[in-house]
This record gives sequence, structure tokens and C-alpha cells, in this order.
Amino acid sequence: MKNKYSYSFLILTIILLVLFCVNISLGSISIPLKTIVSSFFTATDSLSNQEYIIQNYRLPKAITAVLVGSGLGISGLLMQTLFRNPLAGPFVLGITSGASLGVALVILGSSIFGGFLATFLLTKWSLVIAASLGSFLVLLLVLIVSSKVRDTMAILIIGLMFGSITSAIVSVLSYFSSAEQLQQYIFWGFGSLGDLDWSELQIFALLYSLGIGFSILSIKGLNTLLLGENYAKSLGLNIKQSRLLIIIATSLLAGTITAFAGPIAFIGLAIPHVTRQVFNTSNHKTLLPAVFLFGAIIMLICDSIAQLPNSDYLLPINAITSLIGAPVVIWLLVRQRKMAF
Amino acid sequence: MLQNKTFLLLLFSALFFLNCKEDKGIPVKLPPTQNPTTQKVSNTIAYAEGFSISTVSDFKVLKINNPWPNAEKTYRYVLISKEEAAKRSFMKGEYDGIIITPVKRIVVTSTTHIPALELLNEEETLIGFPGTDYVSSEKTRQRIDNGSVRELGKNEGLNTEVLLSLNPDVVIGFGVDGTSKSLNTINKARIPVIYNGDWVEKSPLAKAEWIKFFGALYNKTTQADSIFKTIETDYKAAQKLAQTVSKRPTVISGAMHKDVWYLPNGTSTEAQFLKDANVDYLYADTEGTGSLALSFETVFEKAKSADLWLSPSYYPTMDALKQANTHYTQFDAFKNNAIYTFSNTTGKTGGVLYYEIGLARPDLVLKDIIKICHPELLPEYTPYFFKPLK
Repeated sequence: MKNKYSYSFLILTIILLVLFCVNISLGSISIPLKTIVSSFFTATDSLSNQEYIIQNYRLPKAITAVLVGSGLGISGLLMQTLFRNPLAGPFVLGITSGASLGVALVILGSSIFGGFLATFLLTKWSLVIAASLGSFLVLLLVLIVSSKVRDTMAILIIGLMFGSITSAIVSVLSYFSSAEQLQQYIFWGFGSLGDLDWSELQIFALLYSLGIGFSILSIKGLNTLLLGENYAKSLGLNIKQSRLLIIIATSLLAGTITAFAGPIAFIGLAIPHVTRQVFNTSNHKTLLPAVFLFGAIIMLICDSIAQLPNSDYLLPINAITSLIGAPVVIWLLVRQRKMAF
Repeated sequence: MLQNKTFLLLLFSALFFLNCKEDKGIPVKLPPTQNPTTQKVSNTIAYAEGFSISTVSDFKVLKINNPWPNAEKTYRYVLISKEEAAKRSFMKGEYDGIIITPVKRIVVTSTTHIPALELLNEEETLIGFPGTDYVSSEKTRQRIDNGSVRELGKNEGLNTEVLLSLNPDVVIGFGVDGTSKSLNTINKARIPVIYNGDWVEKSPLAKAEWIKFFGALYNKTTQADSIFKTIETDYKAAQKLAQTVSKRPTVISGAMHKDVWYLPNGTSTEAQFLKDANVDYLYADTEGTGSLALSFETVFEKAKSADLWLSPSYYPTMDALKQANTHYTQFDAFKNNAIYTFSNTTGKTGGVLYYEIGLARPDLVLKDIIKICHPELLPEYTPYFFKPLK
């Protein structure tokens, strides 16, 4: 199995590395290659403007793009296999909705709760903590539900319902909020990759790695689940345990990413499909690393486009991911005439 | 969710009319404009493009040309005395509203309308306002506190029942695109609604000139003209004073939301103030309708060494700015503590004074900026709105 795909993996890895370098070299201002290279060897306190941009803005942004793309792709893959539903993604299960609610409560709720929350509001960590708490609480809810409801479709619908409740609460909160608070919430909703400094990125990477670790642990369960829950049971798989492992991995990945980069649309849903079309396999030992590579590559491309190289403007990353991603999936499906799932 | 976002965007667009809630009451005494009766007045509208007043036999016609950007319709209102109105009739649909002047009971919907009422000594006519907490002017604040001004909810969702029960002579609304459902309902109930387009005007003086619009409603045209004349004279004197210096500090404005830096474009009112204060606003040569939305890289390269930084969004302290994004600390203006904001100058209930009074008193805004940028020109002057960010 490994030999069959090793060339594909090699090529994808090279593409990823090249795109990473391209992403760093492109931006609103043109920076000569010499400066880009020198910025990696210059001490932090003696950086020129352009070196500062490379070292403290573009590099963390490119790394964030890799983490976001791969993480969302993998959590989408996990959800699709768990629910045996091609439409599943991190948005399903209400994980992203939970994060949004957490953020809305902090930004929009500060005028209602006042005091401590209002002063806490302007720190970036408050949003990260709120979003993580939000998705974690939804995870807990899903876990409780899944212990009572055996049907995965029911859990899926409960997740969607939670999304509806969330947006209703956000509507009420926004009605009572000031323009500045609404503005802040809207900007969070656009998604952003370039907003993390190195210390934030470290914590992001740590939580992300935990999520990836859980994902790798769940590979065996994922492959068996593809055969159907009853068959998996007959093979001796502890369905409950596998489900728990997969849900934890997804929540960690999707929750952390939403917390740090905002709700990024489409990637979670589309990347697994693109990967399956190209690799034509359902073995998660192959799919997982392939989704990692594809997710990172596509996110880097999206970010490079959102930067509108050499222009002063930036487009919201959220819009680009859908604009670029959706036609790719349509094209693949039309070409293959069926969905590999 | 999409509907929700549209709603949020609409409210966001009304940013200049709203303000943040912080419980810091900083009493600010504004200098009065000079006694109007001593001023020589002219009856023309010199700067504002959004409205005009003409006299037709025994009544006046108020035309509103541009109540929101790219408005297609011109709204025409009859301003007529009670006696004359009893004598004549108008064709249905000929005008968008008949308003009996002088107005005795008024509802306004933006804090920017309040100073006009106060300058004309007509604050007693105000009977309702949406979001009374945003009002900071002491006279009106007192009337709100003693229950003379009814709370009408939020501007985008006016409490129609309460408004109808108040039965005002006229409602002064403002619209982002003229689709306010509650204002339409009120209009259908035969309470005339006039859309005020002061915020669409391009220059500070044009915005301030809308006091003449209120003057017409109260039959105080001469007084309104005179008040505006004083403001105009003061503004021009300050502008002339600023031109006497040769050293122009470089100025940056706005702040980042996520990694996009929003700042006023070169044709905005804010940029006009900076131009009149004779400073080198780094984005003075840009054009556009909304704010500039630039990438961090662009702004960093251009503005890192700017001398001054005005209005860094709503951040209340240097620390808040730093916590929001560490990149801010790299700017010279941050390192030299040369950041000034108006968002900490609030009234008793948290309304930002700049949003309320700045539009009516551009002379004070300009002097504030001159004091910050060329302190030697106005040694005795204390800024009203802009304070250093601590």
C-alpha cells in the first residue's frame, strides 16, 4: 500500500514546501529574495521593516495556514467517516457553532455582563479561551447525547439543531450590543490567518498536535467503521470508545482552529473529497496524511490569493476558501462522475 | 445567519452615530457660540449639498437630496404655519410630508441631532430618542433623567407603539439605505419622517451646516444661520492659523481588525480635518467612499515611523492596544506615546462626546487636532475630544 502512493506523497510534500516558500515571498509589499533569506538570520531587535514583516508576520501566517488547512481537513475526514455522511464536517456537530457562541458571549455579552468581562474583552486570549470553552461544552453535550442515542444520524441532526440555537442566541446578543462590539464579532467571523504572534502560535501548535495525535490513534477505528457499525462490532471494535476518540480529536482540531483563526468555511468539507478523488482509496492510513498535505497546500494557495500579491488590500480568507474550493470539488465530481466515499 | 450578518452590517454602518458604553463620566464644557443676534447673517446654504430650503408664497419647501449614499429620490416637505395650513390644501403625493412649524414635539434618532436642538434652545421639544444612554449633553441628559424624553429602543428596531403614542409633530430619522421598516410604519401613521443626511456630507463645515435644517423646522432660520456663521468663522480662523507653520508632522490613523487595517481615506471628513490642520496624513492621496482596508504589511512599511497616531479605533489604553496585537508596539508613535483618542471622552452614561458633538462643532475638532499636531499655535487651548492614550 505504501509503495503505491509513495510517489504521490513525495510530489505533494515537494509542492507543499514550494508553496510554503511562495506564500512567504508574496504579500502586499514586494520584498527582495535577499531580504527574505537574511530575515531568518537577523536578530529580532535589529530587524528592518521588511525583515520584521517576514519574520513576525508572513512566517507565522504561513505556518498558521498549514495548521488550519491540514487540521480542518482531517477533522472533516473524521466526521465524514464517523457519520458515514459526505456532507459532514467540523461545522456539523455544532463544534464551530459552540466556538462562535463562546466568542459572541465575550464580545457581545460584555455590555450585558459588564465589569470583569468588559475589561477582559480586548485581549485576544479571551476570544481563544471562549471559543475553546464553547466547542468543548458542545463536545460534552454531544458525548452525553451519543451515550443515550445510538444512531449517528440523530447525533448529526442534534449538532445541526445546536447550530440553530447558537445563531438565535447570537442574534439576541447582537441586538443589545454596541456598534463596536458588532464590528468586532463580524471581523472575527471573516476568519484570519495573519493575526497570531509567535507565542500564540506555540500554544496553537501544541493543541493542534494533540488533535493530530488523537486522529492517528483513531485510524484503526475509522477503517473498521467504514464497514458499518454492526459489522465493526462483530469484528470486536469498541464502537463507543472509537466514537469518543474521533469526537475528541475533531473537537480539539476544529475548536482550536476556530478559536485562533475564526470560522474558516469549506476546507473541512471539501479537502477529504478532493483527496479521495485523487487517491481513490478509503484506507485512513493513506487518507489521513494525504488530507494533511492537501489541506495545507490548498490553504496556502487560498492565503496567497487572499493576499492579492502586490496590492494594498486583503480579502477575507473565508470567502476565498469557498470561492476556490467549491469549483474544484464540482470539477472533480463531474470528471469522475461519482463520489468516492 | 446571513440575515443576521446583514443586520449587523447595517448597524455597523451606523457606527458614526453610535458609540461605546463605558462607565466613565468626563464632564466636558463646550464654549458657547457667540450671541446669535449680534451676527450678520446670510440666508444661503454654502457647503451642504444634501438639503435646500426655498420659499413658495406662504410656505417653505424643504428638499432632502441625498439622505443616504446614492439615494435616487429627492424628498420634499412643506414647512407651513398652523394658520396657513388651515387655509390651503395640497395635492396628494405632491409632497412627502406637511410639517407644521414651529415644531413643538420632535423625535430625533441620532445623537448628532441633539446639539442642533440645544444650540437653537429647542431641547425642550425633544420627547423621544432611541438609545437615550448614548446622549451625553448635560441639558438633554437632565431631561432624560427626569423622564421628559421617552426611550424608544434601538434605531434599527424603533419601538413603534411608544413612538406612535408620543404623537410627535415630526420624526428626524436617518437611513443607511432608506429601508427602515419602523420609520415607514410611522410615516404611514401620518407622522412625517424626515431623513437627515448630515452624515453623507463630505466636509466638516457641510455637516455642521445642517443646523440650518433644524432652524427651518423651528422658524429660527436667522438664529441658525448666525450660529453656523460663528462656527464657520472659528473654523476658518483655526485653519488659517495652522497654515502658518512649515513643519508638518506625519500622521497615521485607525487600527487593525484581525490583520486588516481600517483607516480614513483621503476624501473623508477625517482626512479633511487633517488637511485643514496642516498635517501630513500618510493616506491623504487616496480616494473612496468607505474606509480604506489595507493589509498590515502596507501600513507597517509606510507608517511605522509616523510622528502621530490619531484615533486607534476604540482601544481605551496603550496596554489594550498592545494586547490586541503585538505589531502595534513596533510603531514609533506607540514607542513615543504619541497616540491620541477621542473614545475615552465620554458622558455620564458612556456616550462618546465626539460622535455627539463633533459633527456640530467642527471648529472644536479642528482646534483639537491643531493643538496635538502644532501645540505651539494654541498654547492656552485644552482639547475637548482628543486625549492622549495612556
